[in-house]
Amino acid sequence: MLQINHLYKNYGKFRAVNDLSLHIPKGDLFGFVGPNGAGKTTTIRMVCGLMLPSAGEIVINGVNVSSHQKEIKKQIGYVPDFFGVYDNLKVREYMDFYGSMYRMNSREIAKISDDLLELVNLSDKKEVFVDTLSRGMKQRLCVARALIHNPALLVLDEPNSGLDPRARVEMKELLLNLKGMGKTIVISSHILSELSEMCNSIGIMDHGNLVAAGHMEDVMEGVFGSNQLIITLEEGHETAVRIANEHTKVKVDSVGEHEMKLSHNMTKQEIAKMIGVMIEHDVVVTGFHKQEGNLETLFMRVTGSTEAQEGGKEHGAESNS
Amino acid sequence: MGLNPIVKKDVKVQSRSMKICWGVFAYELILALVFFLSVVIIQQESRYSVGNIYSAMVWLYPILAVTQLVILGVVVPVRTASSISGEKERQTFDIMMTTSMTPFSVIWGKVVTAIVQSMLFVFASMPIMALPFIIGGMSWTYLFWFLGIALLVSIFSASIGILCSSLCKKSISAVILSYVFYLVFFIGTIFPYFIYEIIIQSVYLSGNAAQADNGIWWCLFLLVNPGMYITEFFAHVMAGQSMTEYMFELVNLTQSQRVLYEVLNGYGWLIISTILFLAVSFLFLFLAARQINPMRAHVKVAKKKHGDSQSE
Repeated sequence: MLQINHLYKNYGKFRAVNDLSLHIPKGDLFGFVGPNGAGKTTTIRMVCGLMLPSAGEIVINGVNVSSHQKEIKKQIGYVPDFFGVYDNLKVREYMDFYGSMYRMNSREIAKISDDLLELVNLSDKKEVFVDTLSRGMKQRLCVARALIHNPALLVLDEPNSGLDPRARVEMKELLLNLKGMGKTIVISSHILSELSEMCNSIGIMDHGNLVAAGHMEDVMEGVFGSNQLIITLEEGHETAVRIANEHTKVKVDSVGEHEMKLSHNMTKQEIAKMIGVMIEHDVVVTGFHKQEGNLETLFMRVTGSTEAQEGGKEHGAESNS
Repeated sequence: MGLNPIVKKDVKVQSRSMKICWGVFAYELILALVFFLSVVIIQQESRYSVGNIYSAMVWLYPILAVTQLVILGVVVPVRTASSISGEKERQTFDIMMTTSMTPFSVIWGKVVTAIVQSMLFVFASMPIMALPFIIGGMSWTYLFWFLGIALLVSIFSASIGILCSSLCKKSISAVILSYVFYLVFFIGTIFPYFIYEIIIQSVYLSGNAAQADNGIWWCLFLLVNPGMYITEFFAHVMAGQSMTEYMFELVNLTQSQRVLYEVLNGYGWLIISTILFLAVSFLFLFLAARQINPMRAHVKVAKKKHGDSQSE
């Protein structure tokens, strides 16, 4: 669906996006995360044809964004991180206006906008002036507007910024609905917990670089490495460490007063067998569970390591000088 | 071909606003004041002359027409200068650029909206504008001429405003830049003629009249001078003469200069000037469309690359 190859964007000497390559398959809900100034919005603007890449190419459904602007506009629905309104324009007229900008006839617009307003739960607001809607309603209207020409790709740039919790939940439900309908969605956001609930794939940007991308599970495994297992125990710590170390697929990370953390690459049966051996050797095991990484931890680790590397470089440069 | 969606939306939005009503009211008020002031002056003047007061009323036509053209020339660039930069300030511009509208249709939509609005003002002033025709006994065809000139002024002013709007991020900067453009057209184009006048005066003073240049090439810049255009128009309407008769020294004419003089004389100046103003206006519209196209540089490069790869 969306293929980005070696994308660069420079503002003078500053490189906002550096050699970004990415593939988002059809039907994915892709979360774009990164700290402020990471290059997310710049990338999104280049994908939507609102900005000129310095180098590289963006292909949507086999169509190059740079060379086929007309075709690409039909493929993209864009929801920016702000919502500009026109005074004295009603919701129905707002939809009519954008429908006619996609050269749709009034009958088509009327039918599609009715369906879309129902989808975003604004059917009863058709005759209401847009500037009187709440921020959450405006944002949902903006999504309906972006879908009026039935685009293959929906791009949302921080759609939840400034929304209250209820509006955020409604927006999340709307996006999950759209995902269920088979739409490919790219969403950038700072609210990682929501992204982890919605997205099946993610891309993490930091200082213009795409530091991790792919399906959520793959990225987690790639960053956190092997699975972590936490065994809680009361007695027999030394024996437990010895048994664990006998396994080639296990590495003991830490041993505390009541728990032992292991990194492993074992199957479920092998874990059960190892725990059984510990119990046979009088280790008092009171429980065990798998520790799973979450998006927050992943984000902090990935962006933190980049910052640490940069800090290290700067430190190195300072000490050299 | 359907109506441009931007025109449809903007006209609808504006018609719901009280601003347009107040705008028409202010326009009518200014015209009415100018009208009454002019009538009073004409009455005062006719007391000491032998002529008929009604024949003097024909002067209401150029007075009211120039007043309207000046108002349009001032208001229309303000209206269009804030159109694109206004969309940017309202943050709706990016959304607009992701739709199927081409940059030129966006620009054209904004310009047509401004023209529709200005022509609404002009048509609303028809009852006042018609008075010199009723009491002054002028031919009604001049009223339609005036409508044509008002339309041309609107197109030209709107094109300046929209170009400045596409160049500036803030509306206020766009408005200021529009008036700078006006200065260039009003004063910049008259400058070569001033130089010519200085040269010709020194030539005459030195007693070398035989070597005097006829100045026909120097005057060509005035073809895009709005002040000269309006003067030429009223010279024809009120006196049935062309300003070209007074501008050039008809001495030492070469063959090409003689042909040019024949073309410019009579209605030639007005026709060529109208064509030039329209050409400049459309050039500005194309430049504005190019300016707002976010991918403008890349289209050429990408197409060139595509062509190269095909040829390979």
